[in-house]
Amino acid sequence: MEKLMQDLKEQIIQQLNLQEVKPEDIGDDQPLFKEGLGLDSIDALELIVLLQQHHNIRVAKPEDGPNIFYSVRTMAEYITAEKAKQA
Amino acid sequence: MRIFIQGAGCVSAQDSGVFPGEIRRYEGDRLPVADPDYKQWIDIKQIRRMGRAIKMGVAASHMSLEAAGFPNPDAIIMGTAYGCLADTGVFLQKMVSQHEDMLTPTAFIQSTHNTVAGQIALLLGCHAYNNTFVHGAFSFENALQDSLLLLAEDPSRQILTGATDEITEYSHTILRRFGLYRQAVSAGEGAAFFVLSAEKGATSLAQLTAVEMLYRPASEKETADQLAAFLLRNGVQPGGLSLVLTGRNGDEGNDAYYATVERSLFGDTPIAAFKPFCGEYPTATAFAVWMAAGCLNRGVVPQEAMVKGAAPAQPERILIWNHHHGKHHSFILLEKC
Repeated sequence: MEKLMQDLKEQIIQQLNLQEVKPEDIGDDQPLFKEGLGLDSIDALELIVLLQQHHNIRVAKPEDGPNIFYSVRTMAEYITAEKAKQA
Repeated sequence: MRIFIQGAGCVSAQDSGVFPGEIRRYEGDRLPVADPDYKQWIDIKQIRRMGRAIKMGVAASHMSLEAAGFPNPDAIIMGTAYGCLADTGVFLQKMVSQHEDMLTPTAFIQSTHNTVAGQIALLLGCHAYNNTFVHGAFSFENALQDSLLLLAEDPSRQILTGATDEITEYSHTILRRFGLYRQAVSAGEGAAFFVLSAEKGATSLAQLTAVEMLYRPASEKETADQLAAFLLRNGVQPGGLSLVLTGRNGDEGNDAYYATVERSLFGDTPIAAFKPFCGEYPTATAFAVWMAAGCLNRGVVPQEAMVKGAAPAQPERILIWNHHHGKHHSFILLEKC
């Protein structure tokens, strides 16, 4: 899980072109949107593409988005659960 | 009707601020832009999505509004020939490499030509008239003409007008392959914006007297005749110009065209060139307006710009004459105010 969260932080920074943000600046449980990292709805679309491109996971229910993309940890938990289903 | 440039801002290969500052000289077939610190005007969360065309345009527009002391224009009008090339390239490249699947929105959103004027409006919270002209080497001139028409309609308006164009690695390679940067021609890029109004103010840099375009003249003689008629329409004799600021770019054929017309029309009038300072690009005349307005305001023309004659002291009237590949000719007349 720790390795996956570290990879996710690097992928988020690259995908969203977060200039001057380093992986260690993003807390595992820090909210990604609004008051946390300050991401917005366009970033949400970029994160959906990130899951598809890097982890081969399609978000089937858009209404689950706020829970999946709440933080790096919730993203990692979702990826882990989806990978287990695929296995 | 008298139109005044109340404030100007420029991002180019030269220092920002009022021209002439310290002249930067470059070698090679591409002039790099002297990027200002864009974070002065744009939040870092928004910068990450902006290509260089947008950043240059936003910065130049803010500089001009700050110089004019007018934060909220009544219209935003700009010209661009290439638009946001870098983001267009990113989007198209992803379409190919990802087989039109999993395309991200950011590059697409940022790739349209009117993104720059849109971003300027969003950052200013400006809901006024917003228009972008995309007409090759006439893009900026069309934006200027639209601005003049709007001011003729309502002289109380303050209009933000300008132009931006960028070079990318791809565009530079392709245009070079097409022979655009042969001989001593250097590619350029940049953005210049102006606040225009019908009333002279404390910050007024110069008066914008007239703008006209001439498309595909049949010969140098026709160009000379049209230029003379343009000056006559504005009550100016060719000998009454302090300076003719031309778009010479280092290409022999291109530059010879200017020389032929000048011989028949301008006699001993001093001749200068602006593209050694900004490079060749379709909206380079926006840089020329910024340069000429600075020269009129400061009463100085740098000797480095001169092609013929001595740099005039305290210039009163400058004609900008540019042609792009002999097809798009533009005449812009500026006067001291």
